[in-house]
Amino acid sequence: MNKPAAGLGIAPRASVVSWVHHHRQAASNSLLRAFRLPVATGLTWLVVGIALALPASLLVILQNIEAVTGDMRSPARFSVLLEADTSLNAAQTILKRIESRVDVRDVTLIPQDQALARFAADTGLVGLLDSIPDNPLPHTLLVNPLASVESEGLSELAKGLKVVRGVDQVVFDTLWQARLAGVLQAGRRLVMGIGLLMMVGAVLILANTIRLAIEARRDEIVVIKLIGANDAYARRPFLYTGLWSGFGGGLLGAIMVGVFFIYLSEPVNQLLQLYDSDRRFTGLGIMGVLNMMFLGGALGLLSAWHAATTQLRELEPR
Amino acid sequence: MIEFNRVSKRYVDHDALRDVSLTIPTGEMVFLTGHSGAGKTTFLRLLMLLERASMGSLRVDGRDTARIKGRNIGRYRSEFGIVFQDHQLLYDRSVLENVALPLEIAGFRPRDIQRRTRAALDKVGLLGRERANPAVLSGGEQQRLGIARAVVARPRFLIADEPTGNLDPQLSAEIMGLFEAFNRVGVTVIVASHDLALISRLRHRIVTLKAGRLVAGAGL
Repeated sequence: MNKPAAGLGIAPRASVVSWVHHHRQAASNSLLRAFRLPVATGLTWLVVGIALALPASLLVILQNIEAVTGDMRSPARFSVLLEADTSLNAAQTILKRIESRVDVRDVTLIPQDQALARFAADTGLVGLLDSIPDNPLPHTLLVNPLASVESEGLSELAKGLKVVRGVDQVVFDTLWQARLAGVLQAGRRLVMGIGLLMMVGAVLILANTIRLAIEARRDEIVVIKLIGANDAYARRPFLYTGLWSGFGGGLLGAIMVGVFFIYLSEPVNQLLQLYDSDRRFTGLGIMGVLNMMFLGGALGLLSAWHAATTQLRELEPR
Repeated sequence: MIEFNRVSKRYVDHDALRDVSLTIPTGEMVFLTGHSGAGKTTFLRLLMLLERASMGSLRVDGRDTARIKGRNIGRYRSEFGIVFQDHQLLYDRSVLENVALPLEIAGFRPRDIQRRTRAALDKVGLLGRERANPAVLSGGEQQRLGIARAVVARPRFLIADEPTGNLDPQLSAEIMGLFEAFNRVGVTVIVASHDLALISRLRHRIVTLKAGRLVAGAGL
């Protein structure tokens, strides 16, 4: 019988260096393996790219609409119709009273004669209005609230205006703004829903790709596990495969969105010009591209982690 | 030291090992023989924790292997070098990369991996073929490559399952010579083989299994 063998005796530092080395090796080998199968890799990237490009495009379109409609939203303004028998002097007094409120920026008085003349000019009903003995329009105050006053404050202001003596009606049309906000909110949720579904699809496709990759390398995994590799070691190359697939898909998706926006930008910009808007149709931007790549990478990693962990758990030897 | 104490392994339809008790001291070289289905492979699989015993206990260097679980199994297996009859080489990697694998798994530095890998290839006479693909090597060379991979991380135990099954007598003798050389430097070697003519020429304990029972070689 011979003197016993000493065994490995690995220094902790060596393990860390080797761990980093193996990560680098797994990362580069996975990438090389992907490039060696250009058709399969291209198709995977394309599927992930489409899954990311569709919600990304919708989101960018929505952001553009929000920016444009944000410009179109005029500041809130109340039309305060005074009682019919209010004199011009009384109207001036009411104006001063309303103007003294802390939530009001300015108030403009439109006397009833001026209102009638403007109405006649706008409608072309000059003759008809001449035949009416009394001016049916009241004096009107146009009340502009402070820009900082938000929806609840506006409701408070409306209530406050209604109780002013001599005020008949307070007109404040926020319905169209509420409708627009509702449409945009619904749009955002639609984009989120579509995005979520597409991302789930991308995760499933990537997970299936990783499962197939593991199946294709089953013999290799068995061998490395037999000679002492744990699941983390066996899983590592597949995690990088998932990561690269996600990154590549994200990049491809960003390119697709870019091409789509180049195609769309000219007619949309012309349309915006027709509406006297200074806005220009904007695409993803560099941060958007990076976000798509990182999102793709994260999805790839997540899919690979799940697929590799479940697959390796079922694979002999454990 | 490896201690099988009344170990049985039962599958659904048959008993692969029955009440096997055997002690293999550290540094010994043992041949495990018997006909096909005698239980040689099951014996090795239990030792590698590819299977668990249905009854009895298996201790390696005092550790009860039944208590080794999860992530510790990999570390346990890395104490073993394993040589397969069909080599189990990775044909998308070079000779050097195949041999380097256990060292990478064990966490060696890249420069140590290079040094040790070359040394292992030198021992089995394959230095100079590092860049070659294993597929271009002959059967004997592939088996020597498998042995280099098994011993490169300096395992405490070397296990071989029919390592000469596909080789001619001269190559088989060469391979056994390599195992003896590693045993001389302190590695515990267990070789499963049904080539009685070959192993009986070598002066090592022969443990015989028959229908899952240990019938000879239990004593030291």
